[in-house]
Amino acid sequence: MLVELRPTERLRKGNGKALVQSVLGSILHAVGDETLDLEKLRIVCDWVQYKNSFREPVEIRPILNGSSVELRLEIGVDLRRATGEQHDINVEMARALARRDVSDRHYLEPWSRTTASLIWSFNALYWKALGLWEAVTGRPYEQALPGGESDARNAAGARDSITRLFATWDGLAERRALPDQLHVLEIGVGNGNQARVWLDTFLEIDRETGRDYYRRLHYLMGDYSPHLLDVARAQVRHHEDHTSTIVLDATKPSNTLGFLKYKTFFVYISNVYDNLPTDEIARIDGHLFQVETRAFLPAGPAAAIAEDIGASPEDLPDLVARLLRLGPELLAETEPRRFPGAHAAVRFWMKVWEALGLEERYVALPPLDEYQFAPGISGEVLRPLMEANGDLRMHVSNGAAASFVDTLPLLHPHGVLECHDIFVTSLAGYGTGFRGPGKYEGSVVNWVNGNVLAALGGRRGFDVTFRSFAFRAGSNITTMTAEVRE
Amino acid sequence: MTETLLPTTVVGSYSVPEWLERAKSDFHEGRISRTSLNEIYDTAIKAALKDQEVAGIDIVSDGELRRDNDIDYFLERIPGIELPRLAKVHYYDYFDAAVRAPLPCADDLPGLGLVRDFQFTREWTDRPIKFSFAGPFSLAKRIRNEGYAQSEDLVLDIARYLNHEARELAAAGAALLQIDEPFLAGYPEAVPLAVKAVNLVVEGVDVEWALHICYGNRHARPAWEGHYDFLFPAIMDAHVDQLVLEFARKGYDDVVLFKKYRPSFKLGLGVIDVKSETVETAEQVAARVDRALAVVDPAQIVVNPDCGLRYLPEHVALAKLRAMNAGAAAVRARVRGEPVPQFR
Repeated sequence: MLVELRPTERLRKGNGKALVQSVLGSILHAVGDETLDLEKLRIVCDWVQYKNSFREPVEIRPILNGSSVELRLEIGVDLRRATGEQHDINVEMARALARRDVSDRHYLEPWSRTTASLIWSFNALYWKALGLWEAVTGRPYEQALPGGESDARNAAGARDSITRLFATWDGLAERRALPDQLHVLEIGVGNGNQARVWLDTFLEIDRETGRDYYRRLHYLMGDYSPHLLDVARAQVRHHEDHTSTIVLDATKPSNTLGFLKYKTFFVYISNVYDNLPTDEIARIDGHLFQVETRAFLPAGPAAAIAEDIGASPEDLPDLVARLLRLGPELLAETEPRRFPGAHAAVRFWMKVWEALGLEERYVALPPLDEYQFAPGISGEVLRPLMEANGDLRMHVSNGAAASFVDTLPLLHPHGVLECHDIFVTSLAGYGTGFRGPGKYEGSVVNWVNGNVLAALGGRRGFDVTFRSFAFRAGSNITTMTAEVRE
Repeated sequence: MTETLLPTTVVGSYSVPEWLERAKSDFHEGRISRTSLNEIYDTAIKAALKDQEVAGIDIVSDGELRRDNDIDYFLERIPGIELPRLAKVHYYDYFDAAVRAPLPCADDLPGLGLVRDFQFTREWTDRPIKFSFAGPFSLAKRIRNEGYAQSEDLVLDIARYLNHEARELAAAGAALLQIDEPFLAGYPEAVPLAVKAVNLVVEGVDVEWALHICYGNRHARPAWEGHYDFLFPAIMDAHVDQLVLEFARKGYDDVVLFKKYRPSFKLGLGVIDVKSETVETAEQVAARVDRALAVVDPAQIVVNPDCGLRYLPEHVALAKLRAMNAGAAAVRARVRGEPVPQFR
């Protein structure tokens, strides 16, 4: 048997030792009564820091070979919830073991790699129908961020990036190599605060230095959400001659922005990558596995949600599929008896989302060159990471990788990509903390694998560096910078 | 070199397959031997030659497949250049190179070993060969100069080394040598110095000389933007037979410089965009050649890609060369008044 305790730093504080002893004792007691092969057992203890996540306090994850034969069994425990007022580890353990024989969960999809899970359809729906979601909650989405605001509001950070940009432009101007139009791109504009702060600061510095770069500046704001683009446009109305907005899919920006190829001097991306689809892969006993998931609703919440709308739990998979396909407004139109308006459909959506869980299993990963990592990117890029770091389970950040690689060609030879996000910058970080998925309001969040992006950038001639966000103490945010090497 | 009108050739590098990249990286990390790597190179070069022959290219190259990048292969062979760290994370990274004292005299030292590379290529193809190497200006740009009071002197000393090597290449049967200056476009004020150095390289070497100047192709990205007018009129003094330029990606406006200045050298006309995986059609290639024919005599044009094909997948590189050959053949036939082959 192998026991992996991930949140070691947290467990050193407080009653960590007692907690671990209590939880492990309960688990060993429970499995001792079962016909489980203890030699094949792995117990993995996490500390799931998210208020809402897709995990129950105890989950059992089979580790399968290609023909679905169980090689090992993993018991995953969320230490934070394992022994609280709401949960009894003994009860949770018994439930998890019982589910191995008869599951009481209502599954919404078949097993698939996580990038193909419907949680990403929920995520997309959230950004598409954000206006309705906000109308029902009565609060803007930014209030869901830790601390209640984005680091995008930070003027000191903006000043820093603009000052460096001016120095680059000064150098090019000296050599008469500065283009007439100076393009800046923001992907994922949120509510436009970043754009406003950045442009206001830009104008201020331009006036201070007398460079007259503002006249040549064009700031393009791209986002998946038309609603947010409208909000952002209003924020920068006083810069309207120098701004445009465009709806784009962050995983393939070149599809929309091909006209900016080699022309963009500064690309700013904040809290986008953590919201893009990702798979997880794992190395266990030296072999590579993919984490497969299937979304479910637990029996209790499913019954309550169904009762609320006069349906049975068996109706929920179809209703959820239609919600994701049609959106809340059209769903309400097609099911007026169950949803007397769009807001009622949104409330249904919220309840399903809150209860939604992800069951997990490990299956053998195909050869890396056959693993569909991201468009045009071979899974071989993962090999050095997986081979050099022993057994680990990590996100591969497929969506972030696709976005990053597709954004790099937009950069001018002297351009810089700057990204603020939650990054795991050392693979050891996957062995010491829970990196997602979690839920932020209606969206999915995962920490971003910085090593993968650094490897991808490196192969494309970019230096990719990480530093702690310098402008707010205690922030989890890391600043990633990519610029042409040499 | 070749009597063909509008001959087709390559700039130098050919598609580097992923497995070759991995082999190079494995070598730098000590996971495979130099002997194994050399065997891999030999096999890869034979395949690259075959691809070019199948595509119908008139003047072929070894694909520069032994070279990690456009610079290091030469710097590590020049005595007096210090490379403090030979380990690399990415094989394609440049070494950190320095010179702390004037380079020793080239005449007193063995060559750079390029003759062996040429001879291997000669052994495996009957077609005319283009053999290229980085020019003195670009090589010097990658060296931290702590040995010369004037950086110009470092450039000229490197030129003397390359001249020494070029003489040996000519003696070994090389008939077309190309000097690559990938960094020059970033330093337009340095064109007179670069030309002076090029003339030192070619001095007394009786072969056909090509000079390639592009806007950079590291990782299939341009390093600079601009127009070729920065080369003129200083480039007119270069003692070369071809000036090989990039057009397909940038457009053909700069071709008029050949009309304005009427240089004595031929135009190596870039007709294949090596930074895009979209394969050109033969019609597109023909149209691009026609743009140049409007101002340059057909006997003065050599048809080639914009730059090396290193970053393109092999099947894309091959398809682009086939299109280039077909497009050039169609224009050639039309110029000669022969039946124009149908594009497929």
